Amino acid sequence: MSGDIRLEELTKIYGDVLAVDAIDLHIPPGEFFTMLGPSGCGKTSTLRLIAGFERPDGGAVILDGLDVSRTPPHKRNVNTVFQSYALFPHRTVEQNVAFGLRYKRVGGDEARRRVADAMELVRLGGMADRRPGQLSGGQQQRVALARALVLEPPVLLLDEPLGALDARLRVDLQVELKRIQEQLAVTFVYVTHDQDEALTMSDRVAVMREGRIEQCATPQELYEEPATAFVANFLGAANLIPVASQPGVRGTELALGSFRLRCEAEGAPHGEAVAMIRPEYVRLEPHGAEGENRLPGMVEEVVYLGFHQDVRVRLATGALVRADVPNDGEAPEYQQGDAVAVHLRARNLRVLAGDGERAVQDAQAAAAPEPAGTA
Amino acid sequence: MTTTAAPTTSRAPARTGRLRLRRDPWGHPRGLAIVTWIYILWSLAPVLLAIRFAFNEGRSRSAAQGWSLRWFWQDPTLSVFHDPTLRSALEQSLKLAGLAMLIATPLGVGLALGLQRWRGRGSGTTNRLTLLPLVTPELVFAVGLFLLFTTAFSFIGLGTTAQVIGHVTFSVSFVVVIVRGRLQTIGGDIEEAAADLGAPPWEVVRRVLLPLLLPAIAASLLIVFALSIDDFVVSQYLASGADTTTVPMRIYAQARAAPTPALNALATLMLAATLLALALAYAVFRVLTRGERGGRSALGQLASLEATIDAGGTK
Repeated sequence: MSGDIRLEELTKIYGDVLAVDAIDLHIPPGEFFTMLGPSGCGKTSTLRLIAGFERPDGGAVILDGLDVSRTPPHKRNVNTVFQSYALFPHRTVEQNVAFGLRYKRVGGDEARRRVADAMELVRLGGMADRRPGQLSGGQQQRVALARALVLEPPVLLLDEPLGALDARLRVDLQVELKRIQEQLAVTFVYVTHDQDEALTMSDRVAVMREGRIEQCATPQELYEEPATAFVANFLGAANLIPVASQPGVRGTELALGSFRLRCEAEGAPHGEAVAMIRPEYVRLEPHGAEGENRLPGMVEEVVYLGFHQDVRVRLATGALVRADVPNDGEAPEYQQGDAVAVHLRARNLRVLAGDGERAVQDAQAAAAPEPAGTA
Repeated sequence: MTTTAAPTTSRAPARTGRLRLRRDPWGHPRGLAIVTWIYILWSLAPVLLAIRFAFNEGRSRSAAQGWSLRWFWQDPTLSVFHDPTLRSALEQSLKLAGLAMLIATPLGVGLALGLQRWRGRGSGTTNRLTLLPLVTPELVFAVGLFLLFTTAFSFIGLGTTAQVIGHVTFSVSFVVVIVRGRLQTIGGDIEEAAADLGAPPWEVVRRVLLPLLLPAIAASLLIVFALSIDDFVVSQYLASGADTTTVPMRIYAQARAAPTPALNALATLMLAATLLALALAYAVFRVLTRGERGGRSALGQLASLEATIDAGGTK
């Protein structure tokens, strides 16, 4: 089975900006692989290097065992779907889809059959004679997809393909992309800055930052076991509490001022560290509740968000902890000014290496708003 | 309408005086419209007058003496069609414009493509240098060319060849501006997409770029034609004698000597040719970009096209 991608110390420099910093990566055939990160993290540059639109300044792109680093894009066996769709406005939908077949030496009935199949696959039947300008954004993106898939590439590169679509359409197309990918067993390399897209579709996700891969893992692993504060904050929300960490009796012992927390994870970093817990794992209990990993605090703010509430609790140590309290239809249990006990369950606590200040910077970097249309 | 203004006034009494100046800020700006129309009439009046006398029955260029086509071709010796000097001027103008159009357009398209792709050292400078002829006073430009053809390039010398080269030189810039504007609208993604689908570089140009550039190419052809046929200064400086006299030169020379309404007829023909070229450029551009996504890109194109035409008009 073809569609194997290997990047070896791949490097790209623009002027004095290191866009891609010696990336090593292996994407096995048939995987839905996502590169996720804020704008300027190098994800699009990496994709363009795989496509051949850019020449690497170092390292190699290896497709199915062949070094293609010096192969121009029209001779590479990969196809790309662009954020801007990049359809040919002077050609009909059918002519757009058929464009590449000529270079594969496919013609006549065979070409017609494949174009029809590709259009059927992306549910564009009946649109053959339209011009791209007469289609909606979602339909145009389907044409772009069909135009690439008709060539039966072992690898499909997708550069924020849903970026220009509205939210609802995006969800529909996510499902459809995943269906197509599974049906054709094509390797998908998908670039996005949208964590939901990354989590819902991918087999594996690489979170990128400043030209490097911060962490590469399955969506679940990334969410549950983030390696850094940057990853923790880029995927979902995270409470980050600076602590001192040392090996404990069962797991790791974390010192937070005069309080002690237990973390079940073995082999966590020791010394100065950051405790991480997702807001939805934080339990709020009545003031004075006894037991391990319970910290006293006061409710500072309650934000009503419909299906859940974001309760912000200021701990006695000064740290702020956000708790996600599901809306169960009862009246809110906690109000501003209430004294509560915060239960940070030992099995949900994670310990990240590094000092608190660095973690806060990382968290801010991850939360920085993404300017539209750049990556 | 006064009801809309009333609450505003009561809420901000300090502004009352200013609000009264224009009672209804959402209304039709009549004063502006009137001033605009006065200006348009004022600037068109001399042109309309000149055209009027082209159709004069008599010899006068200032008194209305009936209507005829005498000065176009009916008069056996003095009409544009029969007067050898006027006729040769018309032929020379058309020849220059035709040649300039056919040479400057492919040259400009190539230059625009090259500049678009050229990244790195020197590209910025070259970019600006290409646009230099647009802002250089034409007289300076013409004197420069004159010196060039009488000294360094004296093997070419003055005459039709020099005139064509001169016209091509300044009109290439316009072609570059038009084509680059279009290239920007097309965007680099489309070329990359074509290459990505397996098209080798030449095929990308042939199957994608040239068809998409067609409107800009058509517009360029006609605008170069309009620029060239309108030109006086460069043609004048690079002329070598009676047989290289163009229409604007003939009009200028004869206006002081023994003018007849045939001159007006000639000027009218010129005006018609220029307007026709520009209208065609506009129409072809509209038709060829029809159906492209959104109105904005097409509008942007037209804006740049019109700006270019304007720049040509003031040249």
